[in-house]
Amino acid sequence: MTVDFLFTLFSDLFPSLVNSDPLLMMAMLIPLVATFGFITIYALVVIYAELKVSSFIQDKVGPMGQGFGLHAGKFGLLQPIADALKLLSKEDIIPSSANRALFILAPFMIFVGAFISFVALPFGEFIIVSDLNIGIFYILGVGSLAVIAIILAGWSSNNKWSLYGGMRSAAQIISYEIPAGISLIVVIMLAGTLNMQEIIIYQAGGIANWIIFDNPFMPIAFIVYFISALAETNRTPFDLPESESELVAGFVTEYSGMRYAFFFLSEYANMFVVSVVAVTGFLGGWQSPFASALNSPAMGVFWMLSKTALLIFVMIWIRWTVPRLRVDQLMHICWKVLLPIGLFNIFAVAIWTVVIG
Amino acid sequence: MKNYFNGIWTSATTILGGMGITFMHLIRARKDNVTLQYPEERWPRPERNIGFDHDNYNVIRTRLHVDMDDCIGCLKCERACPVDCIKIVTEKSPDRGNDIKDIKHVGITSNGTKKALVVTRFDIDMSECCYCNLCTYPCPEECIFMTGGPNSKKHPIDYEFSEPDRDNLIYKFAKSGTKEGLDKFISEKSAEA
Repeated sequence: MTVDFLFTLFSDLFPSLVNSDPLLMMAMLIPLVATFGFITIYALVVIYAELKVSSFIQDKVGPMGQGFGLHAGKFGLLQPIADALKLLSKEDIIPSSANRALFILAPFMIFVGAFISFVALPFGEFIIVSDLNIGIFYILGVGSLAVIAIILAGWSSNNKWSLYGGMRSAAQIISYEIPAGISLIVVIMLAGTLNMQEIIIYQAGGIANWIIFDNPFMPIAFIVYFISALAETNRTPFDLPESESELVAGFVTEYSGMRYAFFFLSEYANMFVVSVVAVTGFLGGWQSPFASALNSPAMGVFWMLSKTALLIFVMIWIRWTVPRLRVDQLMHICWKVLLPIGLFNIFAVAIWTVVIG
Repeated sequence: MKNYFNGIWTSATTILGGMGITFMHLIRARKDNVTLQYPEERWPRPERNIGFDHDNYNVIRTRLHVDMDDCIGCLKCERACPVDCIKIVTEKSPDRGNDIKDIKHVGITSNGTKKALVVTRFDIDMSECCYCNLCTYPCPEECIFMTGGPNSKKHPIDYEFSEPDRDNLIYKFAKSGTKEGLDKFISEKSAEA
């Protein structure tokens, strides 16, 4: 939608260039750069939030300082910037026995996997890079790119720990995509569309019309999706691919400096993507919770980002509460608990919609 | 079948219970936190009872401090030190008893004693100090003392003096430039004569 809008805008401004390649590239580059800037700023904010929330949960104070230039700035506000500078200035090591080409490719690939999901994320009523008619399907599809990147990283490092991490992530992410997809199928059944914007428009009219409150089975579907999303983004309690107490750092063991930063950044970008999908599918997207009150395109961005921030906070909260699962427990939860519940939900919602709804 | 649902129920309720506990810690973090922002905040010193009013007795064991304006360079503290952590070097004053503009140290102490010697080096290695307090008693001018306690009017208490480098624990009290100023003064005097 934004690309189309920019394209028509530039066509009006520069009539001599209509339908030429430079115009199309300009219209695509602007959302690209804007999205990359958004991810960077968002990652800095979430890193700070994670440091502070984790410290408060453990009765600590987190990064602190007395002012600009002292320690980490007032309340440690400069800590994420210091972290980023540290990662930028670190030595970039490639192990001599590693597969050089694949080792270099893996961090970019995992970031691309997270980055291209942003194409279909609705930030507001008119702010979406491209309003795909298969938006939710597209996001689920490109989300699987992370598996390939993680296996690449694990295998090309030529390290036992990395390989274990890569193998675990393959088993984990492929398994958990099934409950995630099944719980989103229920949303698609109700909304009758795969388009992200139309799913949100279906939930117009206040908190009671959100899909999560549509019928008694939807909260269960939401929880199933949320747990699967945690597993797909490799967050604790499902951080088996990089479990630092058993595998040193899993698939990122051999990475350092900027390449490590890309894994870090894509983890946080993935958190944002799954949270936006959960907000779109269950919590009304950019719709205000008070029906028509406070519902404008500008407020839509606020509602979208605040709901997403809430879900990201819950993810951080869970990370500092629940310990890591064992591999067999992980598979048990996926195949024996989430999958039957998800399948049951499809039938239950179908019958509910036909009989009552 | 019953075990299966019991397991799901137990895990769901225990995770929610745990999250409740962590959330309570999160919102009460300001009150519950035990972190001390060390250089800015310090633990209060405990009140102690040694059987008598210690404000009247020089019994505190902290960092040594020297008030160089009063020091006459008599070396009594250096001789008293059982671990030899005090090093003093003195030079004879060229004009005994008179005030000299270039060298502030030669003058009259607060007790009225005329300073006959210029102290060019007064180093105390606090990493060697055994805090026996023996150096403070022989001092005729009462210019070497331990900070705080009964001396807190002269110098606030300093019992931590943590330093990033061990060499910083050697405290140099002699005022900088004293030796050079003295040499310059002597050379000027000899040139006049």
